[in-house]
Amino acid sequence: MSRLVFRSGSLVLGLMAAASAHGDEWGTLKGRFVLGGDLAAAAALTVDKDVEICGKHKLLSEEVVVGGDKAVANVVVFVRDKKVKVKPELEAATKTAKPVLDNANCRFEPHVLFVQTGQELEIKNSDTVGHNSNIATVKNAPSNILIPAGGKVTAKFTAEEAVPAQVTCNIHPWMKGWLVVRDNPYAAVSKADGSFEIADLPAGELELQFWHEKAGYLGEMSIGGKKETVKKGRMKRKIKAGDNDLGEVVLDAGLFK
Amino acid sequence: MKTPLRPLVLAAVASLLAVGCGPTPPAAFRLNMVEAVAPSAEKDSVAAELALSIDQQRQVATILAALFGSPDEPFCQPEMGLDPAKLRLAAGPVRSDIVGRKNGLYREHCVHCHGITGDGLGPTAAFLNPYPRDYRPGIFKFKSTERSDKPTHADLVKILHNGVPGSSMPSFALLSPAEVDALAEYVKYLSIRGETELALMRTFFELDDDAQGKLAETREFLIDEIVAPIAEKWTAASEAVIEVPEMPADEDLAASIEKGRALFHGNKANCVKCHGVTALGDGQANDYDDWNKDIVKIRDKLAKLAAGEADAAERRWAAGFQEVLVSEALRPRTIPPRNLRHGIYRGGRRPLDLYYRIHAGINGAPMPAAKGTVASEDIWHIVNYIRSLPYDFDGELGADRAVAVRPGPAVGLAATQED
Repeated sequence: MSRLVFRSGSLVLGLMAAASAHGDEWGTLKGRFVLGGDLAAAAALTVDKDVEICGKHKLLSEEVVVGGDKAVANVVVFVRDKKVKVKPELEAATKTAKPVLDNANCRFEPHVLFVQTGQELEIKNSDTVGHNSNIATVKNAPSNILIPAGGKVTAKFTAEEAVPAQVTCNIHPWMKGWLVVRDNPYAAVSKADGSFEIADLPAGELELQFWHEKAGYLGEMSIGGKKETVKKGRMKRKIKAGDNDLGEVVLDAGLFK
Repeated sequence: MKTPLRPLVLAAVASLLAVGCGPTPPAAFRLNMVEAVAPSAEKDSVAAELALSIDQQRQVATILAALFGSPDEPFCQPEMGLDPAKLRLAAGPVRSDIVGRKNGLYREHCVHCHGITGDGLGPTAAFLNPYPRDYRPGIFKFKSTERSDKPTHADLVKILHNGVPGSSMPSFALLSPAEVDALAEYVKYLSIRGETELALMRTFFELDDDAQGKLAETREFLIDEIVAPIAEKWTAASEAVIEVPEMPADEDLAASIEKGRALFHGNKANCVKCHGVTALGDGQANDYDDWNKDIVKIRDKLAKLAAGEADAAERRWAAGFQEVLVSEALRPRTIPPRNLRHGIYRGGRRPLDLYYRIHAGINGAPMPAAKGTVASEDIWHIVNYIRSLPYDFDGELGADRAVAVRPGPAVGLAATQED
């Protein structure tokens, strides 16, 4: 049961897209997350371990990262449908892709990383201090591996995680990152400019899910000036062949408080 | 926010049912209320839909009763790989069976601390430090397997036999091997039950809208999807014991200790960051173990609600969180890294035990696995260094002091798995 009310134009387009789903048409979903209202500037983190090295970086909390033009970074968008059809070329490409989580400048880079099940995740340490990566997965066996300065380890996930898993470093307690572990390749994390893009989606109706580490599953957002209430961050959306631009997706500052 | 939070304590329901049947209500398992409300404590915006409703709590309790029975009459499904005869010996009130053998061992020896449900919430639990183990997440620290693997049956038997030095867990060496065996089986039963409960509770959140907030009560879902994956990890444990190479035999002990010292303080093994340059366990003091993390989450949320201007709905939530913290959890404590100068090792003091701890890390605790990063012979050097720490204290501590060791070969330190 979708809570969305489409404007008549997009409804027609949506129906057309549904009709053409069998013909293997692929669409791209994109948009840009912006903050509605204001938030206090990100707080400085308490760096009390390896101060001589980690203290140099003036680390700020990355719980909510708001950039220029109120862009909201690190919003996760993924396709929730278990049996979503995956474009064959994409499937082949993601199988061999190697996502990398770096311990760099005493923070995780990237702060939120998407990993597909079956992919080999490389966790490396570009710092001159040792780290450990404590991965609190629920469906996959949780792990906590020591990674020496300049070293790297690998990890693999076999099951999809319903909620992104937190990664922490017990040596440097301020370090927090997230892994989005999904079975299908259709996921994106919004960039510093707030934009996200998921390409090669099968045309037709898909269930999207929106998540942010501070706000949780996003309960509401404004798309193209229209307010949508989204239960558990889930939204059914018709994807048509070609571009599907959500435009500015406004997230109220209240979600992040 | 729709439903005001009212934790459903099953014991209360059970006692209502038992009215008129006698003075003592039958023993009942408690629901994991911390897990039922913890997800709602995480965020502000979607709190209500993340907590389990009372109907959902009831469904979990009903399913668990159907799969596992009650504390007086536990049963198990064939997929769980448990021995019902051993469970009968361990469970129920203390009594003698027809051949005069004592039954109800768990309630005689364990329940005071670990609780009827195995939640570590027995009546004495609050007075102990460390708190008794809560079996429900299925996480055990002291074992011979990799970090996220289950302990073997022999690991549990060893803990029961030796106790846990430095904690309130005593040795049960005076029980017969069959009795210890039955108790270890019952610990596994309580763990599998607790893990099943967690898995069921977490599944509510993933349900599709057309499920209308109810779990399927089919065999495919309950056994194949929920119970079987949990039970398989337990049965796989015996195959997952860490292979430990022999301690390098040609190494001079003093040289090995010296290498271990460099590794301990160095950037690769990095032991020093938490255990401290003094090895007194004073390097890191603000971390929580996995059993406490959800409780801390609820506590922090409550503090946040109390600090702000709460509306009526938020005050109801705060009251619910308060109730859970007081009656369903112990006050969270940070987890101190071990003081290695005491020579007291909770998981056993054999060199082999220390090797396991360093290789695999400690599940549920911040201690990471050195496996893969630190070579196995280097782990042995660290073991030797750690074993030297309680004996060489001369008033000076720290990385730059020399370690005084009597020269001699490493004879007698070599470990065997059969030990």
